[in-house]
Amino acid sequence: MAAGCLFPTFPGFNLDTVTPADETQVADAVRDAAARGTSFEILSGASMRTFGRPVEADAVLDLAKLSGIVSYEPDELILVVRAATPLADIEAELAEHRQMLAFAPADWGGLLGRDAGRATLAGIVATNACGARRVKAGAVRDHLIGCRFVNGASVAVKTGGRVVKNVTGFDIPKLVCGAHGTLGALTELTFRVVPAPPCARALALQNCPPADGLRALRQAAGLPVEATGLAYLPAWALAAIPIARNAGLGGGVGVALIRVEGTGAAVTDKLTMLRSELTGHDTSVLDDDRTALLFREIDCGGPFDGHGPFDGHDTDIWRLCVPVSDAQAACEASEARAWYADWAGGLLWLGLPATREIADRLRGITARFGGHATLLRANAVARARLDVFEPEPAARAALTCAVKNAFDPARLFNPGRMYQEV
Amino acid sequence: MLELPEPDQGVLARRGEIARALGEIVPDGVVADKATLAAFDGDALTAHRQRPLLCVLPETADQVSAVLAYAARENIRIVPRGAGTSLSGGALPLADGILISLTRMTRILEVDLDNRCVVVQPGVPNAAVTRAVEGAGFYYAPDPSSQIACTIGGNVAENAGGIHCLKYGLTTNNLLGAELALMDGTRVRLGGKHAGDGGLDLLGVVTGSEGLLGIVTEAILRILPCPLAQRTLLLAFDSVTDAARTVGAIIADGIIPAALEFMDRQCIAAVEAFCAPGYPPDAEAILIAELDGMEVEATDAARRVAEIARDCNARAVHTCQSEAERARVWSGRKAAFGAMGRIKPDMLCMDGTIPRRALPEALARIAEMSERYGLGCCNVFHAGDGNLHPLIAFDVMKPGELERAEAFGAEILRLCVAVGGVLSGEHGIGVEKKGLMGEMFSDEDLAQQERLKCAFDMQGLLNPGKVFPTLHACVEQGHMLVHGGRLPFPNLPRF
Repeated sequence: MAAGCLFPTFPGFNLDTVTPADETQVADAVRDAAARGTSFEILSGASMRTFGRPVEADAVLDLAKLSGIVSYEPDELILVVRAATPLADIEAELAEHRQMLAFAPADWGGLLGRDAGRATLAGIVATNACGARRVKAGAVRDHLIGCRFVNGASVAVKTGGRVVKNVTGFDIPKLVCGAHGTLGALTELTFRVVPAPPCARALALQNCPPADGLRALRQAAGLPVEATGLAYLPAWALAAIPIARNAGLGGGVGVALIRVEGTGAAVTDKLTMLRSELTGHDTSVLDDDRTALLFREIDCGGPFDGHGPFDGHDTDIWRLCVPVSDAQAACEASEARAWYADWAGGLLWLGLPATREIADRLRGITARFGGHATLLRANAVARARLDVFEPEPAARAALTCAVKNAFDPARLFNPGRMYQEV
Repeated sequence: MLELPEPDQGVLARRGEIARALGEIVPDGVVADKATLAAFDGDALTAHRQRPLLCVLPETADQVSAVLAYAARENIRIVPRGAGTSLSGGALPLADGILISLTRMTRILEVDLDNRCVVVQPGVPNAAVTRAVEGAGFYYAPDPSSQIACTIGGNVAENAGGIHCLKYGLTTNNLLGAELALMDGTRVRLGGKHAGDGGLDLLGVVTGSEGLLGIVTEAILRILPCPLAQRTLLLAFDSVTDAARTVGAIIADGIIPAALEFMDRQCIAAVEAFCAPGYPPDAEAILIAELDGMEVEATDAARRVAEIARDCNARAVHTCQSEAERARVWSGRKAAFGAMGRIKPDMLCMDGTIPRRALPEALARIAEMSERYGLGCCNVFHAGDGNLHPLIAFDVMKPGELERAEAFGAEILRLCVAVGGVLSGEHGIGVEKKGLMGEMFSDEDLAQQERLKCAFDMQGLLNPGKVFPTLHACVEQGHMLVHGGRLPFPNLPRF
C-alpha cells in the first residue's frame, strides 16, 4: 500500500473554465493541466457544487457540453448517455417508454440554493444521490453498470460493460458512484433501467408518534409487499410541504408512509396486507399522483427546501445513516427538532447547525450504532472546517488515499472534496 | 499454456521453515504433507492442477491477518480459497504460494431480523444462510448452482449470481458490509448494517475482485422476505430462435421474472436421462419462467408470459400445478451440469453475457462452431440476463481435444464481446479467461485496473497470475504521474 498522501500546493492561477465538447477534448484539457501542474474543479450542471468540502482548484472543468443520449434500447433495459446529460431530459425520455431509473435519482439543486432541474447524471453519480427507492432497488451504484472517464494520467478509460451480469475485471463503476469526482472526469455512463410500475400508492399511518411510525416501517420492510418507500414525516415536515397538506396529511404528531407498486390488483392486495398486519393505526391511501409528488419531496429534501417553519436556506442539513433498528435512539440522541426519516429509518435528515459540537455528537452516534453522518448543506467555512464525510479509521483512510493515488496521483480532480487529501 | 508467476526458488527451499511459522499462527491448521495437499490442488476448472506450497486453515480473522502479515513480511504469495467450486481457476494454487482455505470459518455470527441481515464468517456455505432464516420467512437471494457447497467468501470474490439474480441482483446487490483483511494483515470494515458507506464504495469494488484485493473475514448479507406466491412455467419450442425471441419479448413487455432459464435439445435429453423432470423430449428448446410476488401479481404475470410465449410460437405452455411439480421442473435445471457430465468425461463450462437481442444469432453461431470444432456443445443458461453457459463436451484422454475445446470456448467468448457483451457473467476471469481480457479492454483500461490492484496490494502477493493477462510491478505508481497510460516499465516481468 502506498504510504502517506501528498497534497501539493499550487501557485495561484486565475480560475478559468475549460469546456471540452467530447472525451478527446477532456483528455487534452487534463493533459494540459497535468503539464502545468494545475488542478480542476469538475462541474456538469453545478447544482451540487456546494456539497462536499470546498475544492481548492486552479480551474473549472465544465463537462456540460458532454450531453445527450448515446444509445437507449428500451427492450434491453439499457441506457448509455454522455455524462452531463440533464436528469430531466432522461426522465422524460424514459417515461415515454414507461421506464425509469430504479434508484430514484435525487435532485438536491433547490435544496443547495441552486436551481432545481439542472441536475445531471454525472452529478447524480458523483454524489450517489438516490432517494426512497433505495430500500428495494438499491443506490445509484446498483444501476451504473459501465462508464468511461478520463483519469489522472489523462487517459480515457472504459470500465464495466453494457450488460448487467458482468465479472470481467474490477467493478470500477461502483467505485465512481459517490466518489465526488475525485477519481476522474466522467464522460459516458451506462445504466440499467427498469419498467415503471403501472400503479404506485402509499399507505399513510396518520397521527403516528415517531417510535410507533419507525417500528411500523421496519415491520413493513419485513413483509413480502416489496415496499419501494418507507418514510416518516413528523408534523413540521408535513406542514412544510404543500403536497402533504393537500393530501390531507398532518394535524397530528406525524405520518408513516409506505409505498407499494405493481398492477392495480397487486397494489390493492399489498395495501390490504399492510392494513391487516399494521393494526392499531388510523390509515389512509394516497393516489398515484400524490404518492409520486410526496416521495419526490422526500427524495429531494423537500421539507428543508424553504417552505416551512425551518426556513430552508438558513438551516444546515446533515444526513445520518444508521441501522434501522437504532433509528429512534439515534434520532433522539441527535436532539434535532427538525428531522424526517427515509429508508425505514436508515436515513435521518437532520436540521442541525454545522458546528464542531454537532459534528461530535453525530459521530458519537455513528460510533455507537454504526453508520455515517454527512454534512449535506452548510456554508463554505463550516464545510472546510468540519469533516463533511464520516472520518475514516486510520487503516481505511490509508486505503482510500491509495485508491485515490491509483486514479489521480497528482491530485488533478476536485482536490480536497472528500477529505483533505482526497 | 497458462502464464503463472515463476516460482520463487528461495521460497520453495524454505518450505519447512514456513510450515513451522504457520503452525505457530494456526496450531493444527497447517497441511504440509504432499499427499494431503493434493486435495487442494485446484478448483472446479479441472483442466488445471497445481499443488500449493502449503495450505493453512485459519479459524479466526486474527489468524487470517497473522498469516497475511507473515507472508507480506517474508514476501510469500497467497491464494485464498473457499469451497474450491470456482469454474475459472480463481483458487488455482501456486507452487510457491500459501493456500489459505477459509472452510473452517463456518459460523453464522448473527441473525438480525430487525435489520434484515445475517452476519457470517466467509466459509459459511451459501445455502446455509437461507436455511438459517427461512423459518422466519426470509431468504438470501443469490443462489448459484453450487450453493450447497460454495461459500460466501467465494461468492463475494466472484460476485456470484444464480437463477434468481435477474430480479433480485447479484452478490454485490445483496452484500451490505464486509470485514476485509488486506495483504499486510490489517483489517478494514466496509459498509455495515446501515445503508451505504460514508466514503468511497470500496465494498463495491472488492466484490467480484476474485481474491486480488483482500480476504473477506466477515460478511453482512441482506435477507428478503419470501414471496407469497411463485408460479413456474415450462415453455416448449420447436426452434431455438423462437425461445430466444420469447426471452426478449417478456422483458420488453415490462415483466421482470424472478427467473428465466433456457435449455436446448441436447441438454433436455441429457437431463431426462439423468433425473426425468418431465421435459418434452422432442422440443428444440425449453424455457423455465418463474414469476413471484403477491398471489395476484404472480398469477397475472404468469398468464401474460404464457400469452407472449404462444405469440412467439411456443408449442406447449405448462404451468406447474403443485409445489412438488415445481420442484421437479427445477431439479432438472439444477442437475443439468451433472447430467451432461455423464455423457462425456470432461466439460468446459463457458460464461459470457450478451445483450438479449443477440441471443438468437449467438446460439446459431455457437451451433455452427460446434460442428466446425467437432465437439458437442449444449446450452443451459440464465436467459433473462443474457448470461450464456455453453457446455463444451470433450475427452481429455483424446489427443488434442482439450486444446480444441479451449479454442472453441475462446471463440464463443470473442463472439460475446463482438455482439456487445462481456467475457464473464458470474464465474470470473481467473486463469481461464485472462488471456482474453484484451478482447474487451485496452492496455490503458487494464493499466487502470492494475493500479487499483496495487492500491490494495503493493507487493503483488495476493492471488497473482489471475484476471490480468500479464503481470506488471507496482513500481510506486501511486506517487508517479503516468503519461499516456503507459506504466513505468510495462514489459518488466513481475516475478
